[in-house]
Parts: sequence; C-alpha cells; structure tokens
Amino acid sequence: MKKLVAIILTITLIGTMLIGCGTSQSKKPQEKSETAKVIEQAEKMTLQELYQKAIEESNGKIMYGIGNSSRGATAATGFIEELKKIDSSYNGTIEWSQPKSNSIFTLLNADIMSASHNYSMTLIQDGNQIQSKMLDTGNLLNFIPKEWAEAEGVNAEDTGNPLTLQTLNKVFLFNNLGDKTYKNCWDFVDKDASPLFMGVDSEPVGKNFLYMLTKDEYATYLKEAFDALDSTKQAYFQPVIEEAAKDAEGLGLSGENVKYALAWIKLWCKQYNEQTDDGPICNELVSTSAVGESGLLVYSKLRSVEESGTISVNNVTVAAYQDDYVGIGGYAYRHYLQLVKTSPLPWTACAFIAYMVTTEDGFYAWGKDMGGYSANPTINQDHSKDGYVDGVDTYPAKNDRGFDWWVGKDGGQLVVEDPKYCADVSFNMSDWIDVIIGNKEAANK
Amino acid sequence: MYKPCNRRRFLNRLKTFFSKPQNVILVVLGIVLSVTTIAPIISIFADTFSIHVGSIDAHLSGKTSGYTLMNWIDLFTGTLSRENVWRPLRNTLFLAVFTCLGAILFGGVFAYLVTRTNMKFKKYLSSIFIFPYIMPQWTLAVVWQNLFNSHAVTGGSDGILASLFNINMPAWWCKGLFPCSVVLALHYAPFAYIMIGGIFRNMDANLEEAAVILNTSKWKIFGRITLPMVTPAILSTILLVFGSAMGSYPVPHYLNLVTLSTKYVGMNVNRAGQASILAIIMMVFGVAILLMNQATTSGRKSYTTVTGKSGQTSKVNLGKTGRYLIAVIFIILTTFTSIYPIISFALETFLPNPGDYSFLTTGNFSNLTLKWWITSENITESGMYGQLGILYNSTIWNAFKGTLFVAVVCSLVAGTLGTLVGYSVSKNRKSRAAGYVNAIAFLPYLIPSLAVGVSFFIFGSALGIYNTYLLVILAGTVKYIPFASRSALNSMLQLSGEIEEAAIIQNIPWFKRMFRIIIPIQKSSILSGYLLPFMTCLRELTLFMLLCSQNKLVTTLLDYFDEMGLYAFSSGINLILIVFIIICNGVVNKVTGASLDKGIGGN
Repeated sequence: MKKLVAIILTITLIGTMLIGCGTSQSKKPQEKSETAKVIEQAEKMTLQELYQKAIEESNGKIMYGIGNSSRGATAATGFIEELKKIDSSYNGTIEWSQPKSNSIFTLLNADIMSASHNYSMTLIQDGNQIQSKMLDTGNLLNFIPKEWAEAEGVNAEDTGNPLTLQTLNKVFLFNNLGDKTYKNCWDFVDKDASPLFMGVDSEPVGKNFLYMLTKDEYATYLKEAFDALDSTKQAYFQPVIEEAAKDAEGLGLSGENVKYALAWIKLWCKQYNEQTDDGPICNELVSTSAVGESGLLVYSKLRSVEESGTISVNNVTVAAYQDDYVGIGGYAYRHYLQLVKTSPLPWTACAFIAYMVTTEDGFYAWGKDMGGYSANPTINQDHSKDGYVDGVDTYPAKNDRGFDWWVGKDGGQLVVEDPKYCADVSFNMSDWIDVIIGNKEAANK
Repeated sequence: MYKPCNRRRFLNRLKTFFSKPQNVILVVLGIVLSVTTIAPIISIFADTFSIHVGSIDAHLSGKTSGYTLMNWIDLFTGTLSRENVWRPLRNTLFLAVFTCLGAILFGGVFAYLVTRTNMKFKKYLSSIFIFPYIMPQWTLAVVWQNLFNSHAVTGGSDGILASLFNINMPAWWCKGLFPCSVVLALHYAPFAYIMIGGIFRNMDANLEEAAVILNTSKWKIFGRITLPMVTPAILSTILLVFGSAMGSYPVPHYLNLVTLSTKYVGMNVNRAGQASILAIIMMVFGVAILLMNQATTSGRKSYTTVTGKSGQTSKVNLGKTGRYLIAVIFIILTTFTSIYPIISFALETFLPNPGDYSFLTTGNFSNLTLKWWITSENITESGMYGQLGILYNSTIWNAFKGTLFVAVVCSLVAGTLGTLVGYSVSKNRKSRAAGYVNAIAFLPYLIPSLAVGVSFFIFGSALGIYNTYLLVILAGTVKYIPFASRSALNSMLQLSGEIEEAAIIQNIPWFKRMFRIIIPIQKSSILSGYLLPFMTCLRELTLFMLLCSQNKLVTTLLDYFDEMGLYAFSSGINLILIVFIIICNGVVNKVTGASLDKGIGGN
C-alpha cells in the first residue's frame, strides 16, 4: 500500500510538472478571432440580414447555448420558428443548458481551452466574475445589435457593454400581518431583524449587491436613510458606523459615506437568515404564520403565489411601495448576452442575441413576468396592473412600477450592479464579508 | 543488456504469463484503472498550483497564468484560514465520526435484534429499515426541517412540532452538527445492518453457549465474544461510511453545517484553486482510512465465522412482551425514517403552494390540488413557477431517462469490470500486481464523493467532455467498481480453484468457463455487483452535481427544485424515484435472488 501511495504521489508530481511545462507558452501578438470578425460585420446588419446569415450557417446543425436562465430554451424555440418562417427547409436546432451554481464560468473556460468547441453564446449573470474571468481575458465577446443600439430609450453606455438582456430586481418584502413596520432600509438590520436572504456564497450576485453599496451613490442613499431615523435608532447604529469607519481604511475605501455602507453590510451579514433560494423565502413570507418577517428576494416570485386559506400575496408589502419609506428598496442584477470567443456558429449566435434584445417575442420568455426589464424599453411589457383582478386592484404588491421607478432616486433606489466596480473591490471586500459571516457561524455553534 | 538466452527466457515467461486470461485481465485493468483513477487526481493536484483568472491566486500573485504556491499558502496561513479550512475540517471530522458511531449503533443493534433474537415483525422491519439508504440522503434532512424548524428558534416558518404542538426545539437540534450526524447516521445505518447482520447470521452460537456454561456474565459475553466477532464488520462499516459522510454535500447544506464539501462549493467562486485543496484533504483522509483498514485486517487475528463445522445459531428470548415491545419501538422509529418521508412527499404534491398545509388548519380539503401533476398549459396562470405538471414535464422525464441511462451503463461497466477485478485478483492472490489492482479499484470508494466529483470535473473540463453523459458515466463507473469488485472478490475467494482447473483440463475455453461455471455458481453475488451501482447511481447527487447541468439527471433536477422551494416537484420526483428503486429491487430479488439488503459487502 505504501508503494501505491508513493506511485500515486510520484505520478502526480510528474504530471503536475508536465502540465506546467505544457502551458508555459510565449505570448503571441493578439489577432482578432474569427468570432470577433463576424461580430464586427454583424453589428452593421439588420435583424433580417442576421437571420439570413444564421440560416446559411446553421442549417442542419446544432447551436449550443448555455445560460443562468432556463428560459433561454423557450426563447430558442421562438428563434428557430422565426428562421423557419423565412426558410421552411431550415432544420437547425439550439440546445440550451443551464449548469448548476457557479460552474458556468469553469465550463465556458474549459470549452474555450479544449480542442473542439461547443458553445456559441451564453446568457450569464454575476457582473463581478464576468468582468474578471471573461471580459478581462477576452474569453467572451460583446455584440451590440444595430437595431438595439438604435432603439428608442436604449442607454448603450450603461447596458451595451456587456450587452444586457434584462435587469432583475430583488426587493425588500415584509409580512404585514403584525405590528412590525419597515419604513427605512436600516430597519432590516435593526437589532431584532432577521431578514430571509439567499446566502452570498451560493448566489454571488448577492455579494455584488454588498460590494455595490460601497459606491458613493449608494453609500449616500444609506447615509440619507440613516439621517431620517429617529435618535434612538441612530444611537443604536452609531457605534457600528464608527467601527466601520476604521474598517474602511483597511479596505482602501475612501468615499465620504462609505462607513454607512460598511456598517449596514456588517449588520446585514450578521443578521440575515440564510435560505437556499428565493422560492422558499417567498413561500414563507406570504403565509399567515410569518408575522413580521422580512426578506430580500426576486420580485417576480410573487407571480406564482396561489391564494389559499393561509397564503396570500396580500400578506406581504413591498417595502419601497410605502409612501413614507426611506432608503434603498433592494438591488438589481443583470443577465448579460455574450458570444464565446471560440463560437462555432457566430452568425447564428449574433442573430439569436439580436432576436432576444430587439423583438417582443424574443424577450417574451422573461418579459411576460413582472420584475424583469429589458435594456430595450420598446420590448418591455407593462406589468403595472398585474395585481388587478377583473378591473379591481386586488393584489397591490404585484403592480410593478417599472424599471425607471425602481432605479430612480425618488423611487425604489435600487442598487444596480456595475461589473467593473464589483471586480475592483471584490477581493478585499470578499474576505471582509467572509470573516463576518464566518464569525457569525462560529458564534451560532 | 539481456543475453539471447535470457531474452528468450524472459519472452517465454512473458508468453506464459499472458497465456492465462486472468493475467491479461489484471494487466489491462491495472492500466485502465490507473488512468481513470489517477489522471483525475493529477488534474486536481495541478489545479491547486494553477492560476485562475479572476481568483484570489491571480490577485495575490499578480499573474494571469502559470503556476503559484499562493493557493496553499493563503489557504493555510491567510486571514480566512480558520473559516476556509480549519473549522470546516473540524466539522467534517466530527460529522464523519458521529455518523459512523450513530450508524453502527443503530444498524448494529437492529442487526442483532433481527438475527439473534426472537423479535416480532422481522421481515417487515428488515425491508423497511433499508428505505433511508434507498432515498436520496437529503430527503431526510428536508423531513427534519419540516418537523423541527420553528419561527422562534430557526427563523422562517414553523415546522410540524411548532405549529401543531407549539414545541420549539433548541437551535443545536434544528441546525448544525447534531441533525446532520443523525440524518447521515440514519441514512447509513442500513450499511451497518447489512454488514454486521451478515456476521451475526453466520455466527456459531456454541461460543456464546460455552461462555454461558462457564457462568460468564451477559455483558462479558457480549464484550469478549460477540463484539470481537463483529469487529471486521464494524471496521468495514467505518471504512465505507466515514468517507461517504465526509463527502456528503446536500445534508450539511440543508442543515447549515460548514464542512469541507459545502465550503468547496462556496469557495469555487473566487478561490477555485484553494477549493481544490479542500478536495485533496478529503482524498488524503480516504487514503488514510484505506491504510488503517489494511493495517487492522492484515494482522494475525482470525475472525472466521464460517468454519465448515456444524454450527447453530440460537435466538435470544426477549420475553413475551419484550419481543412485541421492541418491535413496536422499531416500527415507530422506522415509520418516521422510512414511511413518513414517503407520505409527506406524496402529500406535498397535492398542496396549492409549497409547504401550504392550510387544508389542515381550515379543514377545507378543496384547497388540495392536482395541478402539480396534471397541468399541461397556461403555466403562468396556475402558479406553476413556469413549469408544466409532473406528468407533462418533459424536463423531468428527460432527466429521468438520463439517470436511467447513466445507471444502466454504469452498472453494466462497473459490474463487469468489478467482476473481472474480483476474478483476476482472486486468481493471483499473492502477486503484488493483484494487490495493486485491488487497491486502485477500491480507492475511489474511500475518497469522498465530492472529491471524486471535483477531480472528474477538472479532468472532464480539460478534456472538453464536461456536461456529457460520458463524463458522468466515467465518474460513476470508477466510483462504483468497488461495489462489484468487493462482492466478486469475496465470492471468487470462496470458489475452490479445482472447479476451474477441472474445466481447464477438459480444454474448455475461458469464456465458457466463466459463463457456464463461475458466473452461475456465484450468480447472486455477481448480480449484487451490478445491482448496487445501479441503485446507487439512481439516487446519487454529490458525485454528479458538479459534472453536468441540472436538467441532465433526475437527482440534480430534484436538488434544483428543492433549492428553488418547489417542493411539489422535488417530492414528486422523489416519490417516483423511491417507487422505481423499490420495484427494481423487488423484481431483481424475485428473478435472481439478489437484493440490496443482501449485497453490500457481500453476504
């Protein structure tokens, strides 16, 4: 047996060294990939022209797409139907897969590194990792469809690179059956609060939200909300804020109000009640037994609640919808559409992406529900009356006030993910957050 | 340099060596198993030194490619070393130890009662006892949550005890090490039952009776005679359960315990290289257990229970009341561990919302619904979270087909290779090569599933076969060969060489010898070697969860629905899975005589 171990270790070391030798390549001057060249041309084409190119390229073939949203498969079906309308003999298909958790990054990188490439495009979330693992490395390539850039209301500077399919909001909700009220975003980190939230390690966009809070704009929101608290609550939070001011120096954060952000993050990480997903959080908050509980979850989860004896959408209030609510109403993260640099079918990928961001049908898989907003306002659907039943406003919490309201300073004050900012602060902030969560777990044992 | 005659002698020896089929098999399997087992381990080792763009190693080393020691240094000495390695390691070890203890105690006591006493309802209890092993392990964790969680202690909604009886269990009972250990112990207790039960069943009662005649106290007999005889079974249980408990991901994940497995998944975002080190730590424990096992069983102690002499087993009389009382206690216990989960899964599929038991409190049974089964259109309108009902949901049925395909192929390949390992090792018992092949075939079983999954994940990604059934089958086969090889080896060792030698003298070719003599004689054990990988594959999650997208296999899909809180779907799938496994087990048992509760470790 000792020999077996020795043999394994020897082979392992030799193997490691050999692999090491194999990858030490000298850097070659970067040439534009075939995919990049296609993108350059595709950005000047109309959707119809792209459809033609896709038909020529992928007839009889399978395009592999991968994404964080299973609805990509629905959009793919619609796209193939569109191509068949143009050429009834077209028989290409799209195979859509949704990998678990975080493995999409490893998977895409592995596909790029391998000798034969499968994936042509991706629908991907988590701006931080996209920036640092995919965009900075050039592994994913951005494509901006011509008609998208020209559409009315599109903010190409904000949502063009990486190209945003949609922005989703996670909002503060609370069960309104008791006396407990949440009129300020600091109430969610008050001493007796224990909001339900997906663990930041299981869903990294939650961590991005915390990173984003340290950005001046959002730290100021928190400072203003703090100023609106009564003196008793201010006195409770003040020591944490002073302590956070010291942490800010160590983290290299110098914003004027960053201490408010760090204090809020610290309290949030200590107090949130970790859940596996937003689904269970929603199921719980809408029940009569969840008196006074709160949570931060995807807004669209309310769409599937079925009314029963103990369950009702009317048992919850969207915190930001209260007239006298102060502070951030939640956060927004994005789904981005990108081509893989080694895309085997780049024209088809461009056409599919253009279909999703420029047509109502293409966005329908996401647009049919509240809480998801296309970066192209012309294809968004109105969900402002989703809570109406037979013309009566029955479930006000479901009346989506729309993207502009949610991200506005006078509206929901959502904290919107910025991939570059997240990537810049992530390493220092990530460790700081992990220590807080680690200490909390240790204290709970 | 060889002289011509030496070379000829060498070639002749080589020719003689390869003229025996068992030697050819041994060499081929040695090469195949070395590659399939060691290559993934090499991949994972290399990964710990690689720089991962966008990860902490790239940040700390200031490089975007190449190799660094930064992952090892930062993991063990960085500011997060306590959170990232030491605490998870401590929790993992405690979890593994407590799981072993719990499984051995519960399974061992049950085995003793079934085999050595006159307890009532043995047949029913024996078959129901293995249910937790058939079910995916985290289903009991979900049941635990549903029973004991409370708004006052754990936050979130009240479980059944809190809502019906206003009983709030303490936090340590609801989350963390204790419930994880209990759930895993219940899951692996059937292992202990089968292993220890096998020995008890064959144990000659003369030894104990001799002690009774000598007026030895009951406890002394148990401690000095009974217990030592079952030591190998206990060691085998530890061997099998320790690694499995260490690598369990879903149970600690659901019951909030930070272990190496849960930490691995969490750290994969920006500490991928360090996460690989965690997998290596798990592997080291796997190898250590193997070494310890070898050291323990290679001594001169004898544990023979089947001697060939006439033996008899006497049953301990539990008394008129005792035999019923103990049986009733076990019926109640197994009802909670085996029957209640199935009932709750079934019930969950008829609730209007996940976890919405309002029909109980309101008495309004019209709140129950069939929508989770039969919805075939308008999925947005019916509160279906964008899914079709189970009966019409192609994602679920495709995943089921995928699982079935993987399970069938894995069991065929693992069963065949394992049988060949058992055959060739038994024929070359004293050779070092046989020892090596036997050890390398068994090694993957001792390495926690997550670590094996991680190594195949990295290996498969490098080969471009990630998210393919090929990779899943490869990992499953390598991991499950030990089931077949152990089972086959045990049974082949029982076969006298003379039987095959007689056939060789008659010039009967090897294939015919195998199919006409060896396999028919040891049919039951060999079939167990096929059955176990099949059953285990059907409900495997930890090994496969990193290797493919969630809709490829029914267990990954089940986990996805559970995490999403769509308990109707996860419960429905669980129900289908359990019923399917029970039917398979029943059919195989009827047709061949082999069954799950006769297979593990061989009986």
